[in-house]
Amino acid sequence: MYGWIYRHLPGPTLVRVPLAVLLALAVVALLFFVVFPAVEPFVPLNDVTIQR
Amino acid sequence: MVGAADGDQAGECQADLQTDLGLAGRVPRQADPPAGKPGQRAPLTATGPLPPMSTAGGPWPTAPAPTIPDRAGPPAPGAPGRGGPAALDETCPPAAGGERRTWRGPSGGTIVRGTGELLITLGLVVALFLAYELWITDIFQARTQSRLHNRLAATWAVPARPAAPAPPPPAPPLHPALGAGFAVLHIPRLGAGYAPVVVEGVGAEQLQEGPGHYPGTAMPGQIGNFVVSGHRTTYGKPFNRLDELRPGDPLVVEISDRYFVYRMTRSEVVAPTRLDVTYPVPEQLGKTPTSAVMTMTTCNPKYSAKTRLIVFGTLDKTVMKAPGVGVPFEPAEG
Repeated sequence: MYGWIYRHLPGPTLVRVPLAVLLALAVVALLFFVVFPAVEPFVPLNDVTIQR
Repeated sequence: MVGAADGDQAGECQADLQTDLGLAGRVPRQADPPAGKPGQRAPLTATGPLPPMSTAGGPWPTAPAPTIPDRAGPPAPGAPGRGGPAALDETCPPAAGGERRTWRGPSGGTIVRGTGELLITLGLVVALFLAYELWITDIFQARTQSRLHNRLAATWAVPARPAAPAPPPPAPPLHPALGAGFAVLHIPRLGAGYAPVVVEGVGAEQLQEGPGHYPGTAMPGQIGNFVVSGHRTTYGKPFNRLDELRPGDPLVVEISDRYFVYRMTRSEVVAPTRLDVTYPVPEQLGKTPTSAVMTMTTCNPKYSAKTRLIVFGTLDKTVMKAPGVGVPFEPAEG
């Protein structure tokens, strides 16, 4: 999977490595700002209130 | 026979190389060595058969290889070092040997590796989620809190006159909107820098901003129960160390013009459904309150939602704000 992605990045190594890093950062940002906030309510870490 | 086989192999090898490198038609090529004359260039179609498994657009990158010298021909005078017959000999045998350079769909190894990578990725995502909950949410909350503090500071003007000696005027009515900050909580036991802004509401969004006040329960200083919930392990973890409080510890609630000094009376661990701790008289249904009390709730044990840690307090006194007078930080007893 990772090999496949790397092979399909354009350009020489000097271009591919920053591209790969950017891609990884984009995935992390997507997780932090979209996926994790959406998943969070289902995790009991944040249940602090008293309710029925 | 041996010579012919050799020639076939060489032909395969070169054809394979050419198709794999995408250089067919560009690279000068020689006819079958046993049959052809040395040095004569022949088109690709005139040579031996292509290897059966060779595909035109293989998965290998089309590396820029300028020229590949003929196997039987004399080495080109200006050719790079790797282009000699020795280099060809290095690259040819695996190709001539057959299947390693040809692609025929995902093999068992590919599937195993892909599954392994997927599992490692899943593990990384879970680790990232933990990092997000434990540290990144703190950053979010710190930014929100600083915004709330600025907003309160803009609306709370420090009174210019000295504290009135007479009985203090009634506290200004508080009607904060959902999610708005309206008070600052100081707990000397948890450090002088401990000052989260309490917001109205206990929904997920409000609790991400700071400790949340249960709408409908008493406001700070009012007769009744001032109930606040806060995160224990995430989003700035304002109530992380609530278990360290001891009876008698001051719990100071600051509003625009005064401080309400509550004192902790006791703590309790209860089931998450014990709504009675939020009653005007905690744990006593239907009683009319006669004093101002305070209840703080958070999850317990840490990193769990199994039970709730409840801390109760009773209003001890009210201190008016005055120039040069800070938070009434009395040393905690005990």
